[in-house]
Formats: sequence, C-alpha cells, structure tokens
Amino acid sequence: MEKASSLAEDYFSRYQDLIPNYESFLNALSEPLPLYFRLNTLKTQDPDRVVRGLARQGFEVTPVEAVPWFFRVEPRDISLGNTDEYYLGLIYPMTLSSSLPVYALDPRPGEIILDLCAAPGSKTTQIAQLTEDQAIVVANDKRLDRITALVANLRRLGVASVVTTVYRGEQFPLGTTFDKVLVDAPCSGEGRYRKGYEGELLFHKEGHTNLPAIQKGLIVRAYDLLRPGGILVYSTCTINPEENEAVVDYLLRKRQAEVLSWEAPLPSHPGLTEWEGKPFHPELVKAKRFYAHEIGAVGFFVVKLRRQV
Amino acid sequence: MKRRIKKLDPRASWPRPVSDEERAHILGYLEERFGFSPTLFEPYLFLATAKNYWLFTRTEHFEALQSLRVQTAGLLFLRKVSGYLKPTSAALQRFGRFATRNIVILDRLTLDRLRLEKKIPFSAELEPGYVILKCEEDFWGCALYISGKLISYLP
Repeated sequence: MEKASSLAEDYFSRYQDLIPNYESFLNALSEPLPLYFRLNTLKTQDPDRVVRGLARQGFEVTPVEAVPWFFRVEPRDISLGNTDEYYLGLIYPMTLSSSLPVYALDPRPGEIILDLCAAPGSKTTQIAQLTEDQAIVVANDKRLDRITALVANLRRLGVASVVTTVYRGEQFPLGTTFDKVLVDAPCSGEGRYRKGYEGELLFHKEGHTNLPAIQKGLIVRAYDLLRPGGILVYSTCTINPEENEAVVDYLLRKRQAEVLSWEAPLPSHPGLTEWEGKPFHPELVKAKRFYAHEIGAVGFFVVKLRRQV
Repeated sequence: MKRRIKKLDPRASWPRPVSDEERAHILGYLEERFGFSPTLFEPYLFLATAKNYWLFTRTEHFEALQSLRVQTAGLLFLRKVSGYLKPTSAALQRFGRFATRNIVILDRLTLDRLRLEKKIPFSAELEPGYVILKCEEDFWGCALYISGKLISYLP
C-alpha cells in the first residue's frame, strides 16, 4: 500500500497547482469510490419500493439531493449486481458524476441523438429515461463484445428508443445528421483512481496508446455529424488537460464550434486556458472540471459546444 | 449461442416495419390476452425480424436511420413460437403494470422455486397460455400456464 501511495503521489504531483485543496485530494485517494445507482423511472417512480428492497438485502440507501433519481449506497464494496432490483431493471449502478455529460446534453423528446462511445450504456439509458423513451438514441461502440453488454443493459432497463451500431467512432458514417452528439471519450481514467482499488492507471496499463490522438479524431467526427445549430458534449473521467482542454482546443481550431455555458448539479471549476506554457482558446473557461474529492465520486471533465449555423 | 452471434452480425440490416394489418393483429392479441390498451403502444412502432417483433419508438427520423448498419433496434417484445406470440420478460417487466388479465401472482417461495426448477405444478382459473408473473409489487416476466403446470421463461 505504501508503494501504491508513493506511486500515486508521484503521478499526480504534476497537477499539484491545478487541483484545488490538493492535500484533501490525495487523502481522498485512500478511500474506496462511493457506490451509487440511478433509479430507472421507465419502470418505477417509487424509490421507496427500491430502498425497502435493498434494505432487506443489507444495503443502506440515501437519496442524492443534488441529482434527481440518484442514490448513494453502503456498504460500497458489495456489488448491486446480484440484487432483485438489478435483475428487474429498476436500478442502474453508475457513479454520480457519470450523469453530468447527460445534464449538459439536455436531451428532449423527439430528438435524434448519437452516443458515440456508448457501452456499457449508463448515459444512453439515462437519456432514454430523461426523455421518457421518446428521443431516438443511436448507441455506438467500436467493440462488438461491449455492444453485447450494452444490449443486455437496454433489455434489462426496458428501453425501446435505442438503435445499436458498431462503427469506429472516428469513422462513423456521415450520412445521418444528429440534433445532439455525446462523446464520452476513452481516456486514462485518472478521475476514477483510488489507491489499491483500481490498481494501475489506464495510461500506464495501455502503455503507448496515444489517447489524445484518438480523442481528437472522435471529437471532430462528432462535430461533423451534427446538424447546423446541433449540440456536442465532450466528456472524460480524467484530469489530464492533454485529453481535455487540448482536445477541445484542437476542435476549435479545426471547426467553427461555439463553447456554451451550462448549469451543473455538482460543484465544478472552470476549464483551463493554459497548461504547461501552452495557451488554449479563452472560451474554454466555460468547460467544467469536477474533482473526485469535492463531489464524492469519479472526477470528470465536461464541455458543451454548438455547431455554428 | 449460434443465434446470438448471428444477431450481432456486423452486416445486420434493419428490421421491417410491420404492416397496418400485422400491427392490428399484434395489438389485438396483447389486448385480448393481457388487457393491454392499444393506446399504450401508440408512441411505438413494431418492427419484424424472422421470428421476433421489436418495439421501437415512433420517430420522424426513421428514414434517416435506414442508412445505418444496425445491430439492434428497440426492445425485443414478442417472439413467434409455433404459431403463437410469446411476450418477452423484458417487455413484461416494463409494461406488466398496465396489464389487467392473465397475471399470476406468486408468493416469494413459489417464485424462487419456479426460477430454480423452471417448471412447477400449478392450478388457477386461467385460460392456458402465456401469463405475466407478479410477486409482491414487482412484475418478473413471462411464464406458460398449461396442463396444471407453470413453465418459467424468466431469463
């Protein structure tokens, strides 16, 4: 554990001036990630039934006031996957901050929406829930095995508004245009790191994978798939500015995108306009950074953009 | 196993929207057997593949979606089994609360036994056929009631 602590402290030291209250951030890394679920309102709008059922199985469930239909669960180290509530599709276990990109997207009934990196489906099913199954979501993932998990979750939650596809995100065909596109990009996952729990950071595990190059390919294709005036949300669960602001800055240099403000239900910090001597587009202050120790969940980066008419 | 691989075939094409006549047949069955009001499914289309019907949200974007190579579209709702229509458990878990007929209410012990043994002796004042399983306030899915037996189709 001491080795893990020192590795984490060495790793995150590059963000010492970036992360607010850095000491509490480091302390939070020693705690396991809190466990949350979303109530599937397509099947039930009665939280009491679910709270009672889970209590009978030894779980203590508390509603999250700031984020509707989300609940925090203790003990956090026991899976919800074996419960009746999971089997019946009444709940979807997901981290609290994973809801944020969908809040930025603000999906509405009647829209056609692309979730470019959708599996295993937490955000796709959240969109279906918020639109009462009345917006069409094309849920794409490049890996067939991950689509199988996504399809199982759609069936479990009883969602009828989703089409699943298997394309490489950066090569998603340009024939269909969308009102909104969500890119919850593959990333180094620094925001979900906890000492001794998640083990190595994905960045270490993946070795020489050039994540920013993949992310830039995804964000540009996502933008090109929008109708004029359409909305793009780009998110990651990492702190690394090279996978966040630098990727959005790349899009802003390549395309006429407009950065938009949005209301988040959890505390955040503005996006960066400079990192390690490299300036970013000034509008990136409208992006939002969410830090794990401030929100009690996985750290996230979310930015909302509009395609210029 | 073979069927699952086929369903996720990357060359998969769009399922066919059903004709008005086929839709009326499906809605008639759902109303007659389970008491589902046809208006419940007004916001949805039924799409057909060789042996299945899928429920898919009605949309003005339907034509625009046709160019995509899709793996699945909507919720697997009914299977055609030997000339009969069998609702999926996924469909009944979602819509079971709107049904008014052929709902079998089981206590927890009987439900657990049915899940374990797949087939149990059972008698009730019901017409033989597919039924909706309910336990306490939850809708669990589909079973077949026939010849004094209850046969589970729960996943």
